[in-house]
Amino acid sequence: MWGRYTEWCRQCDEEQLAVLRDPAVAAGVPPGWRRVIALKLAALSTIERQEMVRFTTTYQGARLWRAIAKLCLVFSVAGALVKLALLPKMPLLLAVAAGNFVGFAAAMALITVWFNHEKYTRPNLKMIAVVTGLGLMGGLYGGAVAAMAKGDSWQHFMDILPNVLIGVGLGVLLLVALPGVVVTMVRNRHFALLAAQLKHEAEQERLARELSETQLRLLRAQIEPHFLFNTLGAVQQLAEQGAPRAAELTAHLIDFLRASMSDMRCEQVSLATEFGLVESYLAVMQIRMGERLRFRIDLPTSLAPTRIPSMLVLTLAENAIKHGIEPSLRGGEITVTVQEDAGQIRIAVHDSGVGMSDTPGNGTGLENVRSRLRLAYGESASLALSEAEPGLLAELLIPRKDAQ
Amino acid sequence: MTVTILVAEDEPLMRERLLGMLALAWPDAQVIAAVDNGLDAWDACLEHAPRVVFLDIRMPGLSGLEVAERIGRQAHVVFVTAYDQYAVDAFDAGAVDYLLKPIQPGRLDKALARLREKLDSQPMDVSAVVRQVKAASPAPAREKLKWLKASVGKQIRLIDVEEVLFFQADTKYTRVVLEGSEALVRIPLKDLLGGLDADRFWQIHRGTVVKVTAIRAAERIDAERMQVLLRGSSEVLPVSRSFTHLFRE
Repeated sequence: MWGRYTEWCRQCDEEQLAVLRDPAVAAGVPPGWRRVIALKLAALSTIERQEMVRFTTTYQGARLWRAIAKLCLVFSVAGALVKLALLPKMPLLLAVAAGNFVGFAAAMALITVWFNHEKYTRPNLKMIAVVTGLGLMGGLYGGAVAAMAKGDSWQHFMDILPNVLIGVGLGVLLLVALPGVVVTMVRNRHFALLAAQLKHEAEQERLARELSETQLRLLRAQIEPHFLFNTLGAVQQLAEQGAPRAAELTAHLIDFLRASMSDMRCEQVSLATEFGLVESYLAVMQIRMGERLRFRIDLPTSLAPTRIPSMLVLTLAENAIKHGIEPSLRGGEITVTVQEDAGQIRIAVHDSGVGMSDTPGNGTGLENVRSRLRLAYGESASLALSEAEPGLLAELLIPRKDAQ
Repeated sequence: MTVTILVAEDEPLMRERLLGMLALAWPDAQVIAAVDNGLDAWDACLEHAPRVVFLDIRMPGLSGLEVAERIGRQAHVVFVTAYDQYAVDAFDAGAVDYLLKPIQPGRLDKALARLREKLDSQPMDVSAVVRQVKAASPAPAREKLKWLKASVGKQIRLIDVEEVLFFQADTKYTRVVLEGSEALVRIPLKDLLGGLDADRFWQIHRGTVVKVTAIRAAERIDAERMQVLLRGSSEVLPVSRSFTHLFRE
């Protein structure tokens, strides 16, 4: 029984720590009050979460209980001292209990202020009014009850009223307001520093991301001279023969060039645009390679507006040609398909060429694809290559995102 | 004597273009074969022994560079490439002939003029330049064959390429001879060539490839012909004239 309880506590702790470290985890916590807590924790700011993590990891398990025991000892001694010095008539046990009560209340208040100091950054009149009001009411009520119990007259109560008010005021001031103000000041300075640092880091990261995204796209956007010269050669040959296909090939080449030039300026494009680009590329290659290349492209209309990083599918199609069909004696077929699967889209580029054996290394093209996926989606997108009989299958898995 | 030409280019339109331009610019030369991959190119070289060979660099099977290495001094080689800067630089430095795609008539005339001057002399060996280009090339080397699958009765036998003494062409199949046994593989020898390391497996005949370390001796039969004696097999393999240079001291 005890074992199960401690195990449960440990699980809760770990779960909360996990949420603090990565707020995205909160969505996975099973519904119930544990999830409510998880969501609250996830909603905290980065700095607050960092500090909560530090606090929780420091005061975990036995250390928490030791810290509580220490505080308890200090408060008990304080309560006893106050009794000896000021209230000789009070029973010792009551004094110790009162010391602990007041002490822990103040400690809780401090911790609350410590972790919620943002709420006290500006003078919060409502808050002060509420605290003072509650204090006063408590004081008056306590005074009245005490006076009545002692059988004192109303007049006497009215006489000591100013003292009660001053006492309550001082109490509130000493126990809540003063520590609150001090803590808030110290914390705010610390917080401002941390926030500035975090903001700086975030800015740096954003700049680095933008830079590498631009570099990667530029790298990708260079149209291969091989492609261009060979295609122009094919156009020239067809034109000299007076073949109508010369115009057709030129049209595909124009489509391809226009699309790739506008794509290289955007980070994200719709699947319709990207598949159009891939189709014009494959149409050019088909005329050039003749019987050695067949291709099929299939894009469901429902997925046409879905956004993906530009030129990724084109890179996969180029790889399929370069490492699959071109090295193959018999040539082969390329199929480009896309389907939706639980909020993700799966883009598959299959070629029936020579397969994995003839693609040693990964090629800069695929490295580039992987880097851009990482930049755009972190770990939630992937590129997988697998041997398909015959040939090679490249699969892109990307979270679905539609144009607004 | 009519000059014989072989054209190897994998894209049909580019092949047609080169053939058409050659017919105009060099009407008395004879194109004996036009092929679309490196393996057929090498096979046609062995079959027809052309004087001049136009080789596209990027081709399936064997690259133009690999075919040129095998050709050695047996033909005048002209490389054809769309854009291989590293290769073009080396060709320039080594005075190797090349054409840039798309081939323009003026440029072809110049190359042919140079070629005609050289026709009477022995072809230059381009393999040194080719090795240099291959070393500098950003494209990784073709993966070499490690295993062969051969059916023996109902079984599929896996053969380690390193254990093979020699390969012999047998129409559509290849006879694979090991020490003490042999098998038949369902791939023509021509198609196996691309997967064999040319430094360790020497082709000594259009239909024979032998592992260099399995060669015990090569002996002269007469002024033109040679034969190879093996370790681990009593078979004697003939060396055809195109390959006797391999054994010249």
